[in-house]
Amino acid sequence: MIGKLMIAGLVGLMTLSGAVSAGSAYDKQKVVYHINYDDPRQQAGAMRNIQNHINAVGKENLDLRVVMHGNGVSLVMYPDALDSVKKFKHANATEQMKATIDGLKDQGVAFNICANTLKGRGVNYEDHLYNVDKSDIVPSGVAELAHLQAEGFTYLKP
Amino acid sequence: MNPNDELEVNAYVDGELSADQQAELLEAMRQDPELARRACELNQMKAQVRLAYAEPPRPDTRAGNVVKASWRAIAASVLLLAVGMLGGWLLHANTTVPTADPARFVVLDPDGRGQAPAVASDGETRIVFHLTNPDQTVAGELLDEVEDLLAAYEADHRPLRVEVVSHSDGLDLLRMRLSQHKARIGELAGRFNNLTFVACQNSIDRIKIEHGVEVKLVPDAEVIDSGVDHVVKRQREGWSYIRV
Repeated sequence: MIGKLMIAGLVGLMTLSGAVSAGSAYDKQKVVYHINYDDPRQQAGAMRNIQNHINAVGKENLDLRVVMHGNGVSLVMYPDALDSVKKFKHANATEQMKATIDGLKDQGVAFNICANTLKGRGVNYEDHLYNVDKSDIVPSGVAELAHLQAEGFTYLKP
Repeated sequence: MNPNDELEVNAYVDGELSADQQAELLEAMRQDPELARRACELNQMKAQVRLAYAEPPRPDTRAGNVVKASWRAIAASVLLLAVGMLGGWLLHANTTVPTADPARFVVLDPDGRGQAPAVASDGETRIVFHLTNPDQTVAGELLDEVEDLLAAYEADHRPLRVEVVSHSDGLDLLRMRLSQHKARIGELAGRFNNLTFVACQNSIDRIKIEHGVEVKLVPDAEVIDSGVDHVVKRQREGWSYIRV
């Protein structure tokens, strides 16, 4: 009986604290996902992690960024682009991946790309990359990761 | 313990040894518990002296005027003494400048291994890169990124500190026999005094136990006890963390 009461109490407390955190705009979780690898399966896994994260916490409670640099830019690269961009081994923006990315963007996820990588590897974001706007480009992926952590973002590398 | 060791340990506690000398002494301490105990005692003594003289006792304000005045006098004299001692200590420290490049940022410090005070002036960006991948191509890309970053901050006169912590299989980057970037590491470490390469002692020990191999590191590598511990500590100190 006491055990049941305690559990009921705990559940009540959790519900209460959940309601409080959902109600306050300042409680947003800030998380940055780091992608610098080109393995399509690993990248797909990362996208799944992000979706699960959103499902668990709720998109309204999240400020979620993906920072790509180096080989990680392959996540949004058209497979055809490999003919002109020689410094990449993989280009993973297949139809399926494009749909996944669109879905995440609709839920508020920002996808940021390193300008150093674009410059250093001769990538034209308008021709070679899927759905990248000028405002998505950050000067340096590494510096962006450091900056976001200084701003209180939690760093995750799936 | 011979008098030379005593001198060396004192110099160590006072932070007057170069990174290489520190590393050597730490190695000696690992093998000689007596030496380690002595360093510990001296450190404690130093801390007690600092504690005793850095802050004058607070005067009791509830006491009468006469008493107050005398307390003030005592406090003032204690303060004066503290200032004098601190001054003397600083002067002494100034005359015995470490032999190594004093601008070089060292992880090792008088209070123990890997306990560097990440005292950063405001606005300094501090990044720790955690390398666990043995792939030398990946390691080379890391060095490219680190170089770009350091050069960009230098060009803009923005303060930056970077540590590359090689841990587990990532240790290969700093191993004499396996690294494909030895010359590059030496060049980068020489060019940027705000860059440090850190090797994990646990990983070194494990290689010895599992493979019977005595790991030799590149000359610019500093050794700390645990790579994992170190990156956790750095994050707690406010460093940004990037897993390579």
